[in-house]
Amino acid sequence: MQTSRGGRGIQCVVVTPETTVFDMTAEFVSLPLYDGQRGVGLGHAAFIGRLGAGEVRVTSKQAGTPAARFFVQGGFVEVAHDTVTVITQRAIAADAVDGQDARRELEQVQSTKAVGEEAIEARLAAADAARALARTASRSR
Amino acid sequence: MAKARALDRRRKSVRNIRKITRTMELIATARFKKAMDRSVAARDYTKHLAKILENIAAVGADVAHPLLEIRPTTRTAVLVLTGNRGLCGGYNGNVVRQSLALLGQWRSEQVATHVAVSGKRGISALRFREITIDETYTTFEDKPEFAAVAPIGQAYLQAYASGAIDRLDVAYTRFESIAKQEAVTETLLPLAAPEAAGETATKAASDEYDFYPSAASILEEILPASFMARLFKCFLDAAVSEQVARMVAMKAATENAGGLIKSLSRQYNRARQSQITGEIMEILGGVEALKK
Repeated sequence: MQTSRGGRGIQCVVVTPETTVFDMTAEFVSLPLYDGQRGVGLGHAAFIGRLGAGEVRVTSKQAGTPAARFFVQGGFVEVAHDTVTVITQRAIAADAVDGQDARRELEQVQSTKAVGEEAIEARLAAADAARALARTASRSR
Repeated sequence: MAKARALDRRRKSVRNIRKITRTMELIATARFKKAMDRSVAARDYTKHLAKILENIAAVGADVAHPLLEIRPTTRTAVLVLTGNRGLCGGYNGNVVRQSLALLGQWRSEQVATHVAVSGKRGISALRFREITIDETYTTFEDKPEFAAVAPIGQAYLQAYASGAIDRLDVAYTRFESIAKQEAVTETLLPLAAPEAAGETATKAASDEYDFYPSAASILEEILPASFMARLFKCFLDAAVSEQVARMVAMKAATENAGGLIKSLSRQYNRARQSQITGEIMEILGGVEALKK
Protein backbone atom coordinates (compact mmCIF):
# COMPACT_ATOMS: atom_id res chain seq x y z
CA MET A 1 0.00 0.00 0.00
CA GLN A 2 1.03 3.55 -0.47
CA THR A 3 2.65 5.49 2.28
CA SER A 4 2.03 9.13 3.03
CA ARG A 5 4.51 11.33 1.31
CA GLY A 6 6.19 13.58 3.80
CA GLY A 7 3.50 16.03 4.86
CA ARG A 8 1.88 16.31 1.46
CA GLY A 9 -1.88 16.52 1.37
CA ILE A 10 -4.50 14.80 -0.72
CA GLN A 11 -5.20 16.33 -4.09
CA CYS A 12 -8.97 16.56 -4.30
CA VAL A 13 -10.61 17.18 -7.68
CA VAL A 14 -14.33 17.41 -8.40
CA VAL A 15 -15.28 17.29 -12.09
CA THR A 16 -18.65 17.56 -13.80
CA PRO A 17 -19.36 17.17 -17.54
CA GLU A 18 -19.17 20.94 -17.90
CA THR A 19 -16.17 21.90 -15.85
CA THR A 20 -13.76 21.17 -13.00
CA VAL A 21 -15.63 22.50 -9.99
CA PHE A 22 -12.93 22.11 -7.39
CA ASP A 23 -9.23 21.35 -7.35
CA MET A 24 -7.29 21.75 -4.12
CA THR A 25 -4.99 20.08 -1.63
CA ALA A 26 -6.80 18.74 1.40
CA GLU A 27 -6.08 16.84 4.56
CA PHE A 28 -9.20 14.73 4.69
CA VAL A 29 -12.07 14.08 2.31
CA SER A 30 -15.43 12.62 3.25
CA LEU A 31 -17.30 11.01 0.38
CA PRO A 32 -20.94 9.94 0.04
CA LEU A 33 -20.57 6.43 -1.36
CA TYR A 34 -23.66 4.53 -2.46
CA ASP A 35 -24.00 2.93 0.98
CA GLY A 36 -22.85 5.71 3.27
CA GLN A 37 -20.15 8.27 4.01
CA ARG A 38 -16.56 7.14 3.69
CA GLY A 39 -13.55 9.07 4.82
CA VAL A 40 -10.29 9.24 2.93
CA GLY A 41 -7.12 10.33 4.62
CA LEU A 42 -3.51 10.40 3.54
CA GLY A 43 -2.17 7.08 2.25
CA HIS A 44 -5.55 5.52 1.67
CA ALA A 45 -5.63 2.34 -0.40
CA ALA A 46 -6.62 2.76 -4.05
CA PHE A 47 -10.26 2.22 -4.81
CA ILE A 48 -12.99 3.11 -7.26
CA GLY A 49 -16.43 3.58 -5.83
CA ARG A 50 -19.91 4.49 -6.84
CA LEU A 51 -21.31 7.61 -5.26
CA GLY A 52 -24.80 8.14 -3.97
CA ALA A 53 -26.43 11.48 -3.33
CA GLY A 54 -24.91 13.47 -0.50
CA GLU A 55 -22.20 15.75 0.65
CA VAL A 56 -18.52 15.76 -0.24
CA ARG A 57 -16.64 17.43 2.61
CA VAL A 58 -13.10 18.54 2.05
CA THR A 59 -11.11 19.52 5.13
CA SER A 60 -8.31 21.84 4.22
CA LYS A 61 -4.73 21.46 5.34
CA GLN A 62 -4.30 25.00 6.53
CA ALA A 63 -5.71 25.60 9.96
CA GLY A 64 -8.52 28.10 10.13
CA THR A 65 -9.86 27.54 6.62
CA PRO A 66 -13.38 26.18 6.71
CA ALA A 67 -14.08 22.87 5.01
CA ALA A 68 -15.35 23.02 1.44
CA ARG A 69 -18.70 21.26 1.02
CA PHE A 70 -20.41 20.10 -2.13
CA PHE A 71 -23.64 18.35 -2.86
CA VAL A 72 -23.14 15.63 -5.45
CA GLN A 73 -25.69 13.34 -6.99
CA GLY A 74 -24.42 10.04 -8.29
CA GLY A 75 -21.18 9.49 -10.12
CA PHE A 76 -17.90 7.87 -9.18
CA VAL A 77 -14.84 8.43 -7.12
CA GLU A 78 -11.35 7.27 -7.82
CA VAL A 79 -8.81 7.25 -5.00
CA ALA A 80 -5.19 6.50 -5.82
CA HIS A 81 -1.78 7.91 -4.91
CA ASP A 82 -3.27 10.47 -2.52
CA THR A 83 -5.51 11.84 -5.23
CA VAL A 84 -9.27 11.86 -4.86
CA THR A 85 -11.15 12.39 -8.12
CA VAL A 86 -14.89 12.83 -7.84
CA ILE A 87 -16.65 12.41 -11.18
CA THR A 88 -20.28 13.41 -11.03
CA GLN A 89 -23.00 14.77 -13.26
CA ARG A 90 -24.22 17.19 -10.64
CA ALA A 91 -22.10 19.08 -8.13
CA ILE A 92 -23.32 22.17 -6.31
CA ALA A 93 -21.43 24.12 -3.66
CA ALA A 94 -23.32 23.54 -0.41
CA ASP A 95 -23.77 27.29 0.16
CA ALA A 96 -25.56 27.58 -3.18
CA VAL A 97 -28.13 24.91 -2.33
CA ASP A 98 -31.57 26.39 -1.73
CA GLY A 99 -33.46 24.53 1.02
CA GLN A 100 -36.87 25.53 -0.26
CA ASP A 101 -36.04 24.34 -3.75
CA ALA A 102 -34.87 21.03 -2.31
CA ARG A 103 -38.08 20.54 -0.35
CA ARG A 104 -40.13 21.46 -3.42
CA GLU A 105 -38.17 18.92 -5.42
CA LEU A 106 -38.87 16.27 -2.78
CA GLU A 107 -42.60 17.07 -2.75
CA GLN A 108 -42.70 16.89 -6.51
CA VAL A 109 -40.95 13.52 -6.55
CA GLN A 110 -43.25 12.19 -3.86
CA SER A 111 -46.37 13.32 -5.69
CA THR A 112 -45.44 11.54 -8.93
CA LYS A 113 -46.76 8.06 -9.40
CA ALA A 114 -44.37 5.31 -10.42
CA VAL A 115 -45.54 2.18 -12.13
CA GLY A 116 -43.22 -0.75 -12.77
CA GLU A 117 -40.06 -1.83 -11.04
CA GLU A 118 -37.67 0.50 -12.84
CA ALA A 119 -39.86 3.55 -12.39
CA ILE A 120 -40.25 2.82 -8.68
CA GLU A 121 -36.51 2.48 -8.29
CA ALA A 122 -35.90 5.72 -10.16
CA ARG A 123 -38.48 7.46 -7.96
CA LEU A 124 -36.86 6.17 -4.79
CA ALA A 125 -33.45 7.33 -6.00
CA ALA A 126 -34.84 10.75 -6.89
CA ALA A 127 -36.48 11.03 -3.47
CA ASP A 128 -33.22 10.05 -1.77
CA ALA A 129 -31.36 12.67 -3.77
CA ALA A 130 -33.91 15.35 -2.91
CA ARG A 131 -33.70 14.42 0.78
CA ALA A 132 -29.92 14.56 0.69
CA LEU A 133 -30.14 17.96 -0.99
CA ALA A 134 -32.46 19.25 1.71
CA ARG A 135 -30.12 17.90 4.37
CA THR A 136 -27.17 19.69 2.79
CA ALA A 137 -29.18 22.89 2.71
CA SER A 138 -30.16 22.62 6.37
CA ARG A 139 -26.52 22.08 7.36
CA SER A 140 -25.46 25.18 5.45
CA ARG A 141 -27.64 27.44 7.55
CA MET B 1 -23.51 62.27 -63.26
CA ALA B 2 -26.08 59.46 -63.09
CA LYS B 3 -23.50 56.68 -63.34
CA ALA B 4 -21.13 58.15 -60.80
CA ARG B 5 -23.92 58.69 -58.32
CA ALA B 6 -25.16 55.12 -58.71
CA LEU B 7 -21.64 53.85 -58.13
CA ASP B 8 -21.31 56.00 -55.03
CA ARG B 9 -24.58 54.66 -53.66
CA ARG B 10 -23.44 51.09 -54.20
CA ARG B 11 -20.14 51.81 -52.53
CA LYS B 12 -21.96 53.17 -49.49
CA SER B 13 -24.13 50.05 -49.20
CA VAL B 14 -21.10 47.77 -49.51
CA ARG B 15 -19.43 49.78 -46.75
CA ASN B 16 -22.43 49.17 -44.52
CA ILE B 17 -22.33 45.47 -45.26
CA ARG B 18 -18.64 45.41 -44.42
CA LYS B 19 -19.38 47.01 -41.08
CA ILE B 20 -21.93 44.29 -40.33
CA THR B 21 -19.74 41.38 -41.40
CA ARG B 22 -16.79 42.81 -39.45
CA THR B 23 -18.95 43.02 -36.33
CA MET B 24 -20.23 39.49 -36.86
CA GLU B 25 -16.66 38.29 -37.19
CA LEU B 26 -15.71 39.92 -33.90
CA ILE B 27 -18.76 38.48 -32.13
CA ALA B 28 -18.05 35.02 -33.53
CA THR B 29 -14.44 35.29 -32.34
CA ALA B 30 -15.53 36.16 -28.81
CA ARG B 31 -18.12 33.38 -28.79
CA PHE B 32 -15.63 30.92 -30.19
CA LYS B 33 -13.20 31.64 -27.36
CA LYS B 34 -15.92 31.07 -24.78
CA ALA B 35 -17.19 27.92 -26.44
CA MET B 36 -13.63 26.64 -26.74
CA ASP B 37 -12.99 27.24 -23.03
CA ARG B 38 -16.12 25.25 -22.18
CA SER B 39 -15.07 22.48 -24.50
CA VAL B 40 -11.61 22.29 -22.92
CA ALA B 41 -13.10 22.33 -19.41
CA ALA B 42 -15.37 19.44 -20.34
CA ARG B 43 -12.45 17.26 -21.42
CA ASP B 44 -11.40 16.46 -17.85
CA TYR B 45 -14.63 14.61 -17.19
CA THR B 46 -14.28 12.39 -20.25
CA LYS B 47 -10.62 11.81 -19.45
CA HIS B 48 -11.35 10.64 -15.91
CA LEU B 49 -14.25 8.46 -17.02
CA ALA B 50 -12.04 6.83 -19.63
CA LYS B 51 -9.40 6.18 -16.96
CA ILE B 52 -11.87 4.39 -14.72
CA LEU B 53 -13.16 2.38 -17.67
CA GLU B 54 -9.60 1.37 -18.49
CA ASN B 55 -9.03 0.27 -14.92
CA ILE B 56 -12.18 -1.83 -14.93
CA ALA B 57 -11.19 -3.44 -18.21
CA ALA B 58 -7.69 -4.02 -16.81
CA VAL B 59 -8.93 -6.07 -13.87
CA GLY B 60 -10.60 -8.29 -16.40
CA ALA B 61 -14.14 -7.63 -15.31
CA ASP B 62 -16.79 -9.12 -17.48
CA VAL B 63 -17.59 -6.26 -19.83
CA ALA B 64 -20.97 -7.43 -21.01
CA HIS B 65 -23.60 -4.74 -20.90
CA PRO B 66 -26.74 -4.09 -22.98
CA LEU B 67 -25.22 -0.80 -24.16
CA LEU B 68 -22.22 -2.64 -25.61
CA GLU B 69 -24.03 -5.42 -27.38
CA ILE B 70 -24.40 -5.05 -31.13
CA ARG B 71 -27.86 -5.95 -32.34
CA PRO B 72 -29.11 -6.24 -35.90
CA THR B 73 -30.41 -2.82 -36.86
CA THR B 74 -34.12 -2.77 -37.51
CA ARG B 75 -34.92 0.62 -36.05
CA THR B 76 -32.37 3.36 -35.80
CA ALA B 77 -32.19 6.91 -34.50
CA VAL B 78 -30.39 9.78 -36.20
CA LEU B 79 -29.56 13.02 -34.43
CA VAL B 80 -28.53 15.95 -36.61
CA LEU B 81 -26.77 18.92 -34.99
CA THR B 82 -26.91 22.14 -36.99
CA GLY B 83 -27.00 25.82 -36.11
CA ASN B 84 -29.98 28.08 -35.60
CA ARG B 85 -28.45 30.71 -37.84
CA GLY B 86 -26.85 30.91 -41.24
CA LEU B 87 -24.02 33.12 -42.48
CA CYS B 88 -21.44 30.56 -41.47
CA GLY B 89 -20.22 29.22 -44.79
CA GLY B 90 -20.72 25.53 -45.43
CA TYR B 91 -21.26 24.63 -41.78
CA ASN B 92 -24.97 23.76 -41.94
CA GLY B 93 -24.88 22.49 -45.52
CA ASN B 94 -22.14 19.98 -44.79
CA VAL B 95 -23.95 18.47 -41.80
CA VAL B 96 -27.24 18.30 -43.71
CA ARG B 97 -25.47 16.57 -46.62
CA GLN B 98 -23.88 14.13 -44.19
CA SER B 99 -27.24 13.31 -42.61
CA LEU B 100 -28.96 12.95 -45.99
CA ALA B 101 -26.38 10.38 -47.05
CA LEU B 102 -26.99 8.44 -43.85
CA LEU B 103 -30.78 8.65 -44.12
CA GLY B 104 -30.60 7.57 -47.76
CA GLN B 105 -28.55 4.57 -46.76
CA TRP B 106 -31.04 3.53 -44.06
CA ARG B 107 -33.90 4.02 -46.48
CA SER B 108 -32.28 1.78 -49.08
CA GLU B 109 -31.79 -0.87 -46.39
CA GLN B 110 -35.43 -0.39 -45.35
CA VAL B 111 -34.60 0.44 -41.77
CA ALA B 112 -37.10 2.54 -39.85
CA THR B 113 -35.53 5.79 -38.68
CA HIS B 114 -36.30 8.18 -35.86
CA VAL B 115 -34.96 11.59 -36.89
CA ALA B 116 -34.17 14.33 -34.38
CA VAL B 117 -32.75 17.65 -35.52
CA SER B 118 -31.24 20.46 -33.50
CA GLY B 119 -31.03 23.89 -35.13
CA LYS B 120 -33.47 25.82 -37.30
CA ARG B 121 -31.24 25.56 -40.36
CA GLY B 122 -31.17 21.79 -40.32
CA ILE B 123 -34.89 21.57 -39.61
CA SER B 124 -35.84 23.69 -42.62
CA ALA B 125 -33.28 22.01 -44.89
CA LEU B 126 -34.54 18.50 -44.06
CA ARG B 127 -38.20 19.56 -44.25
CA PHE B 128 -37.50 20.99 -47.70
CA ARG B 129 -36.27 17.55 -48.74
CA GLU B 130 -39.48 16.07 -47.34
CA ILE B 131 -37.94 14.10 -44.53
CA THR B 132 -40.19 13.40 -41.57
CA ILE B 133 -38.64 14.86 -38.46
CA ASP B 134 -39.75 13.26 -35.20
CA GLU B 135 -38.10 15.65 -32.79
CA THR B 136 -36.77 19.20 -33.10
CA TYR B 137 -34.62 21.27 -30.75
CA THR B 138 -33.94 24.95 -31.29
CA THR B 139 -32.64 25.94 -27.87
CA PHE B 140 -28.99 25.00 -28.34
CA GLU B 141 -26.87 28.00 -29.19
CA ASP B 142 -23.21 28.66 -28.51
CA LYS B 143 -23.39 27.42 -24.91
CA PRO B 144 -25.05 24.01 -24.74
CA GLU B 145 -25.63 23.04 -21.11
CA PHE B 146 -25.31 19.54 -19.77
CA ALA B 147 -28.63 19.88 -17.95
CA ALA B 148 -30.31 20.50 -21.32
CA VAL B 149 -28.51 17.67 -23.13
CA ALA B 150 -29.06 15.11 -20.35
CA PRO B 151 -32.83 14.57 -20.93
CA ILE B 152 -32.19 13.93 -24.64
CA GLY B 153 -29.50 11.39 -23.76
CA GLN B 154 -31.74 9.78 -21.13
CA ALA B 155 -34.51 9.39 -23.70
CA TYR B 156 -32.12 7.69 -26.14
CA LEU B 157 -30.81 5.37 -23.43
CA GLN B 158 -34.35 4.39 -22.49
CA ALA B 159 -35.34 3.83 -26.11
CA TYR B 160 -32.23 1.71 -26.59
CA ALA B 161 -32.86 -0.32 -23.44
CA SER B 162 -36.49 -0.96 -24.37
CA GLY B 163 -35.54 -1.97 -27.90
CA ALA B 164 -37.28 0.98 -29.57
CA ILE B 165 -33.99 1.77 -31.31
CA ASP B 166 -31.04 -0.48 -32.10
CA ARG B 167 -28.57 2.21 -32.98
CA LEU B 168 -27.94 5.93 -32.62
CA ASP B 169 -25.95 7.98 -35.10
CA VAL B 170 -25.12 11.62 -34.64
CA ALA B 171 -24.35 13.83 -37.63
CA TYR B 172 -22.41 16.89 -36.46
CA THR B 173 -19.29 18.90 -37.13
CA ARG B 174 -16.32 17.53 -35.24
CA PHE B 175 -13.86 20.11 -34.03
CA GLU B 176 -10.32 18.88 -34.53
CA SER B 177 -8.42 22.12 -34.49
CA ILE B 178 -9.09 25.74 -35.30
CA ALA B 179 -7.99 25.01 -38.86
CA LYS B 180 -9.93 21.77 -39.27
CA GLN B 181 -13.55 20.94 -38.58
CA GLU B 182 -15.22 18.09 -40.30
CA ALA B 183 -18.84 17.09 -40.75
CA VAL B 184 -18.99 13.49 -39.54
CA THR B 185 -21.42 10.78 -38.57
CA GLU B 186 -20.60 9.09 -35.30
CA THR B 187 -22.25 6.00 -33.87
CA LEU B 188 -22.91 6.57 -30.16
CA LEU B 189 -25.06 3.50 -29.51
CA PRO B 190 -24.11 0.70 -29.19
CA LEU B 191 -21.10 2.02 -27.28
CA ALA B 192 -17.60 0.99 -28.22
CA ALA B 193 -16.27 -1.50 -25.67
CA PRO B 194 -13.70 -0.15 -23.23
CA GLU B 195 -10.19 -1.23 -24.00
CA ALA B 196 -7.36 -1.91 -21.65
CA ALA B 197 -4.47 -1.73 -24.00
CA GLY B 198 -0.71 -1.44 -23.73
CA GLU B 199 1.25 0.32 -21.08
CA THR B 200 -1.61 2.16 -19.38
CA ALA B 201 -3.41 -1.09 -18.72
CA THR B 202 -0.52 -2.82 -17.04
CA LYS B 203 0.19 0.26 -14.98
CA ALA B 204 -3.44 0.53 -13.93
CA ALA B 205 -3.66 -3.12 -13.05
CA SER B 206 -0.68 -2.84 -10.76
CA ASP B 207 -2.57 -0.23 -8.77
CA GLU B 208 -4.83 -2.98 -7.48
CA TYR B 209 -8.00 -1.01 -7.15
CA ASP B 210 -10.75 -2.09 -4.84
CA PHE B 211 -14.20 -1.63 -6.29
CA TYR B 212 -17.21 -0.54 -4.29
CA PRO B 213 -19.63 -2.24 -4.67
CA SER B 214 -18.09 -4.23 -7.57
CA ALA B 215 -16.44 -3.66 -10.92
CA ALA B 216 -19.52 -4.92 -12.73
CA SER B 217 -21.83 -2.59 -10.83
CA ILE B 218 -19.59 0.40 -11.52
CA LEU B 219 -19.44 -0.55 -15.18
CA GLU B 220 -23.21 -0.63 -15.27
CA GLU B 221 -23.30 2.96 -14.03
CA ILE B 222 -20.32 4.29 -15.89
CA LEU B 223 -21.39 3.27 -19.38
CA PRO B 224 -24.49 5.49 -19.44
CA ALA B 225 -22.36 8.28 -17.98
CA SER B 226 -19.77 7.86 -20.67
CA PHE B 227 -22.50 7.84 -23.33
CA MET B 228 -23.82 11.11 -21.89
CA ALA B 229 -20.34 12.60 -21.93
CA ARG B 230 -19.88 11.64 -25.57
CA LEU B 231 -23.26 13.05 -26.54
CA PHE B 232 -22.48 16.26 -24.68
CA LYS B 233 -19.14 16.47 -26.46
CA CYS B 234 -20.96 16.29 -29.81
CA PHE B 235 -23.05 19.30 -28.81
CA LEU B 236 -19.98 21.19 -27.58
CA ASP B 237 -18.03 20.39 -30.73
CA ALA B 238 -20.93 21.50 -32.92
CA ALA B 239 -21.15 24.79 -31.01
CA VAL B 240 -17.41 25.48 -31.29
CA SER B 241 -17.33 24.52 -34.98
CA GLU B 242 -20.26 26.79 -35.76
CA GLN B 243 -18.47 29.78 -34.30
CA VAL B 244 -15.25 28.95 -36.14
CA ALA B 245 -17.17 28.54 -39.41
CA ARG B 246 -18.91 31.88 -38.88
CA MET B 247 -15.65 33.55 -37.97
CA VAL B 248 -13.96 32.31 -41.14
CA ALA B 249 -16.96 33.08 -43.37
CA MET B 250 -17.32 36.59 -41.99
CA LYS B 251 -13.61 37.27 -42.29
CA ALA B 252 -13.76 36.30 -45.96
CA ALA B 253 -16.88 38.43 -46.43
CA THR B 254 -15.18 41.44 -44.84
CA GLU B 255 -12.16 41.03 -47.08
CA ASN B 256 -14.36 40.65 -50.16
CA ALA B 257 -16.26 43.80 -49.25
CA GLY B 258 -12.94 45.62 -48.93
CA GLY B 259 -11.94 44.52 -52.41
CA LEU B 260 -15.31 45.48 -53.83
CA ILE B 261 -15.10 48.95 -52.26
CA LYS B 262 -11.68 49.43 -53.82
CA SER B 263 -12.82 48.52 -57.32
CA LEU B 264 -16.05 50.54 -56.96
CA SER B 265 -14.01 53.55 -55.83
CA ARG B 266 -11.80 53.22 -58.86
CA GLN B 267 -14.81 53.02 -61.17
CA TYR B 268 -16.44 55.95 -59.40
CA ASN B 269 -13.33 58.13 -59.70
CA ARG B 270 -12.96 57.28 -63.36
CA ALA B 271 -16.62 58.09 -64.04
CA ARG B 272 -16.31 61.38 -62.15
CA GLN B 273 -13.10 62.32 -63.96
CA SER B 274 -14.54 61.59 -67.40
CA GLN B 275 -17.61 63.61 -66.50
CA ILE B 276 -15.43 66.61 -65.47
CA THR B 277 -13.40 66.27 -68.66
CA GLY B 278 -16.64 66.25 -70.65
CA GLU B 279 -17.84 69.39 -68.89
CA ILE B 280 -14.53 71.23 -69.55
CA MET B 281 -14.71 70.24 -73.19
CA GLU B 282 -18.22 71.63 -73.34
CA ILE B 283 -17.11 74.96 -71.80
CA LEU B 284 -14.12 75.19 -74.14
CA GLY B 285 -16.38 74.47 -77.07
CA GLY B 286 -18.70 77.25 -75.91
CA VAL B 287 -15.80 79.73 -75.59
CA GLU B 288 -14.54 78.84 -79.05
CA ALA B 289 -18.03 79.39 -80.47
CA LEU B 290 -18.34 82.84 -78.79
CA LYS B 291 -14.91 83.94 -80.18
CA LYS B 292 -16.11 83.54 -83.73
